[in-house]
Amino acid sequence: MALWVDKYRPRELSKLDYHKDQAENLRNLCKQSDFPHLMFYGPSGAGKKTRIMCLLREMYGAGVERLRNETMSFTTPSNRKIEVMTVGSNYHLEVNPSDAGMYDRTVVIDLIKQVAQTHQIDINGQREFKVIVISEGDELTKDAQHALRRTMEKYVATCRIILSVNSTSRIIPAIRSRCLGIRVPAPSENEMTAVLQSTCKREGLVLPPELAKRVVEKSERNMRRALLMLEASKVQQYPFTAQQQIAELDWQVYLRETATQIVSEQTPAKLEKIRDRLYELLSQGVPPNLIFRGLVEQLVNNCDMSIKAKTLEYATQYEHRMQNGAKHIFHLEAFVAQFMNIYKKFLAELVMTDDF
Amino acid sequence: MDQYPDEHEEFELQYQDEMELLEDMPHEYDAVDDGPSTSHQAAAALEQQQQQQKPGANASTAAAAIKDVSRFSNPTLSSPQLSQISFGATQTDAGGGGHVNRRLFGTPRGPTVGRGCSTPLQRMPAIEEVANITVDNETPLPNAASEQLQELGLRGTNKRRLERDLFGDIDDLYHESYEDPMVKKARTEEQRDNEAIERILELRRKLRETSKTVRHDDVSRLRALHDFKMKNLSYDIPSWPFLALQRSDLERLYVRFHSEDYERRQLELLSARGDLIGSLLGEAKQQVWQEANELVLRRLAPATQPVNAAADPSSPDMGRLWVDKYKPRKYIDLLSDEMTNRSLLYWLKMWDKVVFGKVFHSKQEQQAANTGASGAQQLNSFNKRTGKFESNGGWRQRKARQALNTNVDELGRPMQKVALLCGPPGLGKTTLAHTIARHAGYNVREINASDDRSPEAFKLALENGTQMSSVLNQDKRPNCIVLDEIDGAPRQSIEYLVKFVSDGIFSKVKAKGAKAEHNVLRRPIICICNDIYDPALRPLRQIAFVVNFPPIDSARLAERLVQIAKKEHLKTDFGSLIALAEKSGNDVRSCISSMQFFNVQKHSLTLQDVLNNNLGQKDRHQGLFDVWGAVFRIQRPKKQLQQSSSNNPEEPVQVTMTNMSVATRVRNVLDVVHSSGDYERLTQGVYENYLQQKMPDPNFTGICEALQWFCFSDTLQHQISRQQSYSIYPYLQYGFVVWHLLFATLAWPKIAFPTRGFEFNQKYTNQRNIFLSLRKGVTTSAQGVGQGNTLLLDTVPLLKRILSPQLRSVAVQLLSQKEQYDLRHTIQVMVDLGLTFVQVKSAEGHYVFQTEPDLDTLCAFPGYTGLTLPYFSRQLIAREVDLERIRRAAPKGDQAAATKSSAAAPVAVTKQKPVAARLPNHLQTLKPKQITDFNAPKQQLTKDFFGRVTHKTSAASAAEEVKTDAIVKSPIWYRYKEGFNNAVRKDVHLNELL
Repeated sequence: MALWVDKYRPRELSKLDYHKDQAENLRNLCKQSDFPHLMFYGPSGAGKKTRIMCLLREMYGAGVERLRNETMSFTTPSNRKIEVMTVGSNYHLEVNPSDAGMYDRTVVIDLIKQVAQTHQIDINGQREFKVIVISEGDELTKDAQHALRRTMEKYVATCRIILSVNSTSRIIPAIRSRCLGIRVPAPSENEMTAVLQSTCKREGLVLPPELAKRVVEKSERNMRRALLMLEASKVQQYPFTAQQQIAELDWQVYLRETATQIVSEQTPAKLEKIRDRLYELLSQGVPPNLIFRGLVEQLVNNCDMSIKAKTLEYATQYEHRMQNGAKHIFHLEAFVAQFMNIYKKFLAELVMTDDF
Repeated sequence: MDQYPDEHEEFELQYQDEMELLEDMPHEYDAVDDGPSTSHQAAAALEQQQQQQKPGANASTAAAAIKDVSRFSNPTLSSPQLSQISFGATQTDAGGGGHVNRRLFGTPRGPTVGRGCSTPLQRMPAIEEVANITVDNETPLPNAASEQLQELGLRGTNKRRLERDLFGDIDDLYHESYEDPMVKKARTEEQRDNEAIERILELRRKLRETSKTVRHDDVSRLRALHDFKMKNLSYDIPSWPFLALQRSDLERLYVRFHSEDYERRQLELLSARGDLIGSLLGEAKQQVWQEANELVLRRLAPATQPVNAAADPSSPDMGRLWVDKYKPRKYIDLLSDEMTNRSLLYWLKMWDKVVFGKVFHSKQEQQAANTGASGAQQLNSFNKRTGKFESNGGWRQRKARQALNTNVDELGRPMQKVALLCGPPGLGKTTLAHTIARHAGYNVREINASDDRSPEAFKLALENGTQMSSVLNQDKRPNCIVLDEIDGAPRQSIEYLVKFVSDGIFSKVKAKGAKAEHNVLRRPIICICNDIYDPALRPLRQIAFVVNFPPIDSARLAERLVQIAKKEHLKTDFGSLIALAEKSGNDVRSCISSMQFFNVQKHSLTLQDVLNNNLGQKDRHQGLFDVWGAVFRIQRPKKQLQQSSSNNPEEPVQVTMTNMSVATRVRNVLDVVHSSGDYERLTQGVYENYLQQKMPDPNFTGICEALQWFCFSDTLQHQISRQQSYSIYPYLQYGFVVWHLLFATLAWPKIAFPTRGFEFNQKYTNQRNIFLSLRKGVTTSAQGVGQGNTLLLDTVPLLKRILSPQLRSVAVQLLSQKEQYDLRHTIQVMVDLGLTFVQVKSAEGHYVFQTEPDLDTLCAFPGYTGLTLPYFSRQLIAREVDLERIRRAAPKGDQAAATKSSAAAPVAVTKQKPVAARLPNHLQTLKPKQITDFNAPKQQLTKDFFGRVTHKTSAASAAEEVKTDAIVKSPIWYRYKEGFNNAVRKDVHLNELL
């Protein structure tokens, strides 16, 4: 546990740094006998997983922290072998079905059902059910989610499911209604600064408040990102100075540059260069919707008020279409071209009004 | 029967330096006209045709038939049938002529009966009988019978000549065995003559029977005949001018010589009796003479005069397909590319060593082989010869596009044992294979899509074809297997074929005597396919001699079509035939079929017809580049066609190919795109190329619209693949229309093959694999880095910086406090995440340390730094990481000792100080008192032996746990046994004992 993210992660509900009321509620939830299925939702880096682990520890005790890695392999109906990595203790099992890609339905059917069907042998455990934690639950395909529905009801005596999702909109209503939703909002800037400061204190470092503030800003209220950035900054330069450079995410910088290029020039040749950059981003595994978002944010910042609304309108339109397609590059490029179109028109009008 | 060696081809054939190759094939010039006549089928077919043609017609007599025939005959083109018939007639005619002809044509001692009409006297009544047959439904029969009679009489002679002149006969049925034609010939010919005689007798009997009912003035005619005989024939030397003849029974006959006047008078007499007969004797005789002269002429100059016997004038037959009728029968008739023909023939000839035991190349050898000389001599000269023909392969070196490996293996077989012909349909691949195989002296065994080609049946057919030869058939030619339409065969069959072909060598090496010998492939195999890139053909493609069929030049095809049109009296012009050829994509078969269709319909073919009909249009598979070209390019108006239409005054004005209106363009694009069908790849190609096209699009409106369509087609395709809703498939093609209208120009577009999509996919998969291995390596103590995208997007980029501490390249001990801290931190993180540095050799050849899994390539964007560690630091970290791994893997108790012993890790010492306070195992045993202090509680613990008990006590007191753990968990247990003497070596001095 060398990374600060792991090292200074709260292990118990009582030690959580923020959302303390919620922590209290969770503790009360554990005390009740009717523990429901849960769905933690909130932005990335808000502390969903931390809260889940704390909750499990609250329920089962320290034994939950004895984790072990396991790789399970499945055979899909089409005879393809897939491997899924699970992390689990005696009391719980954590899976990330997105590892299986489009075959996550098999994972749900085989793995989760299998775990759910087995009873807890250890009578001394406080609970008679196991917990299955599904991280990145919103990556589950619709098929897998439907497969999950019945499992959740049928084996409710032996297992509970905790979903960790970013957005509930991608969870089918049937699952949503079966779970108790717990929203984990991103920490406020002050909370984050406090966390950073306390972390540095425990490490024996001195963190200038300005730097802390800048890190928080850069991290977009993402706790994990903030801590990693701080750690990277520390490696780059210690003693901290207020104005020191903060490590940024390469793909974000790359995306920002792409947006700048779009605004700077609108020609077919440029569009082709933009296409190359988009391909690069996609091939590095940056999800297309993140690209869309990053582009739109930058473009809207850089363009005139009169075309902002239009830009957003087109962005929504193309992003929606992208969800129905498979070749994301088409839609991304279509949006870029559309923006170039309206931007050019805008510039032309500007010139004309200047003339008269 | 049909052959149109155009002059161009003829010239080519004659003057090319590789004449030997061509010489190799049998000279069929002088035999062409006889060719079909040797086969029973051909004769029968002809008769059938004639029958079909004649029912109901008034002229139903034999004479009429001959007259008919002669009318159709082109004087310069003599047909075999005609020549036979007229030959027979010659003999019935004046004896002198018959004599001459006989000698001329080399027909000695034919059986008199077989000749059917050895004397005019016998012949006459037969003709008269036939002539007087009244027209009724039965007429075709006697008519046919008499015809057959005449032909049969001739067959012997023709056949013989054929065999003498030809080595490689085109007719399988009557060809004699290859090995000793001379020996066999005599016997078989005799048999055949006997057969013919029998048949003739039979036919004659039939003829009599059928005509018996209609014979009315039998007696008078017989009397007239007798009179005629008495007047003109004599056994003694007569007083009138005569010609001496010898009958078969050695009896000498004297035939009267008439003056021309007499002859004419007689003819007039005859024609007065019945004009049909008159015309027979008059015209037919002339015809016969003409024919004979021509034959003589042709015989004298066989090489220079192209023989156009193909225009079989006797059969303006409607029933027969022209495609079949004008099918090339011989090598020189082939319309396909000369290079292709040659290379295939060359390949086939390379088999001669194995199949026939002779070398194909030399002219002398060819002749020797023709005369049936044994292969021993050639075998001797083989080595010398191979050296020669390998060096002088002129045309092969000039054009190396057909990759024919001219080397031979130890058995003398060509290295490529299978030839694979490929090309679009209708170019004559099958015809070429058959013609060339027959030409080279093989018996063709064809296996095509209509045969059962399951692996078992295929195996059987292959083995039968290559290892056996037919016993029932008199034909002793070796087999050549032609596997037609092989791209439709099951994959297993093709795999078997490949194994079969290449296995021969291996089983030979195994050398198991006779059995192994059987497995060696000794016969050539020719495969034919349309699509060479069929996945099932991949193994075959690698070992085969691939012959690509280039499309036939449309002008050349049109020339051939003109010839056919001329033969068939189809009114047309060169321009429309060129248009037809172009329209059908130079598909010979469809062109000829279209012509026949028009001929039947209205006996003419105009440009208008060609353009207005969808004839000859078919689903042609076009290359991807053609389709892209059609999308990005506006077709230029076709000037040639315009000219030809304007040249012809009859042509209506509205015939325009130049119409390049939007509607035409749309239709065009739709057609082309539809013919290809691979929309996904086509879309990708358009996508990657459309931005390069020159277009005036200042406002991006066009590009936006185009991209809308890309999005649309992507959505469609996704839905199709997801829900299998192929009903929306047709909508995919309309995108191409829009793209065409937006981006097409008159200029020739530069189109690059779309690779970006593929590269993207590859890179994506690659990245994904690296990421997965990284994800697998993350240990449980580093769960905070997240999973999935979080790990990739948030952690990895920052991790690169975290793992790049600034270390001076000095010894570890000399590092500063901060550096040591950083180093330790780096090592811990790397171990947590399962990362190591491994030494790999870079592309430039020097060694670099790379993280494993390769963190540097993950989330690496051009222009951004990844890990900035220098080589030295990497090396250092690599070693430390390994040590740390070992330390962690070691059992907990040993860890302290391990840390102590490793002097190279001073960092670890500081960290592990609390652990060092706990004593190692072997030291503890030396302090038994400490253990005895805790004896009482320990007794309880040991009662429940298992680990779970210690678990419970751990909750009780932490201080206790530390000490009990040390003993309970340590892998080594010591137990002191009282009263038992362990042997301890100790130095004992003698004075202590005293």
